[in-house]
Amino acid sequence: MKIRSSRIKPCMKSKQQEIVWRLLPPAGLLIFAVAVVLLTTAASALNRQPATPQVLQSKPFPNVKCVIGLENVKPNVRGTLSVLPIGLEFVTGNTKANISIASILDIFTGQESRQDVSGPIGTAAKAAIPYGGGRVVSLFSHTVEVLTVEYEDSNGGFHGAIFVLGEGKATAVKDQLVANGAKVTTHVQAPQQEEQKP
Amino acid sequence: MKPRTKSVFQSVFSVTRGSAAVLMAVSIMAQPGPSAKPEPAPQQALKLTASAIQLERSSLTETDLVIPEDTRISTYENLIIQLNKTNKFQHVYRSGDRNAATAPDLVILRLIPEAFTPGSQKLREVTTVAGATSIKVKIQFSSRDGKILLEKEVKGTVRFYGENLRATSDLAKKVAGVVKKII
Repeated sequence: MKIRSSRIKPCMKSKQQEIVWRLLPPAGLLIFAVAVVLLTTAASALNRQPATPQVLQSKPFPNVKCVIGLENVKPNVRGTLSVLPIGLEFVTGNTKANISIASILDIFTGQESRQDVSGPIGTAAKAAIPYGGGRVVSLFSHTVEVLTVEYEDSNGGFHGAIFVLGEGKATAVKDQLVANGAKVTTHVQAPQQEEQKP
Repeated sequence: MKPRTKSVFQSVFSVTRGSAAVLMAVSIMAQPGPSAKPEPAPQQALKLTASAIQLERSSLTETDLVIPEDTRISTYENLIIQLNKTNKFQHVYRSGDRNAATAPDLVILRLIPEAFTPGSQKLREVTTVAGATSIKVKIQFSSRDGKILLEKEVKGTVRFYGENLRATSDLAKKVAGVVKKII
């Protein structure tokens, strides 16, 4: 019996070793995968920015029309409007105009409709369409938002700037300016299409 | 000259002379007589002297009129541009400008809204006759101590083509025209 057991033991040891050697690669892979997952999680946690800052900086709004009111900017010029932490910036060509948050007195937004075909060329084209076809073209319009920013200069002089943006964008700009600390008062909505006399 | 031709000529001449006399008499009678109460002197005759002007902004609570803020601001900014273009003043001060306090010979211009019709660009371009945007204001020139020097009504409109805010540009040009006449 002793002889038998002594003969069997080496055989069992070799089998165990064989099983261990077989399980080693998948186990290693599993450990490696877990390590990768843990490292990725830790890296993302480390890269995460601290708390959201109070001051918001949005992506710029291109193709905004500045109707009037900015220093050194001609009336009815198109450019890019950006909300910066320090205020509002309008860039057109090489000209740049800023309105600081501290100088803003009030901000208004309103909706208007604009003709799809307008301007001197559009008006001439509409007039050239026979049988009153120009009037039919005039029926096509789109909604725009008007942003009015009242501010004062370093001498206390009152200024007002008017921008025409796409639908919904003026409200977004106003909200961002308010979040950055701009002053706004409660406004009365103007009624539509009626002559008013005091 | 034949006697018959002579008599015809004389009769035509007498008829013409008579008609001329009647016309003169009628025109003399049609002349307006002196009115009972004397009319006030036209305001255009009044001239102001000023080397600087300050444009006061019209406040939202000044009248019961509800005018969109973009219309108010557009009027104000357009008028600043037009006043500078007149070349009548050494300085055009904005509302609230602290430098105006020391400016000599300053006149203050205030726009008081009297009527406003919003209008519609689409309606104007489709119908041609409807949808006009108009804004009527009383312009008031006053001295630094608050004494009113001159008042006048001015109306800005956009009737056929163009955006509603063009009415403010029209108004500003008309106000600048008044300023040119009186200063």
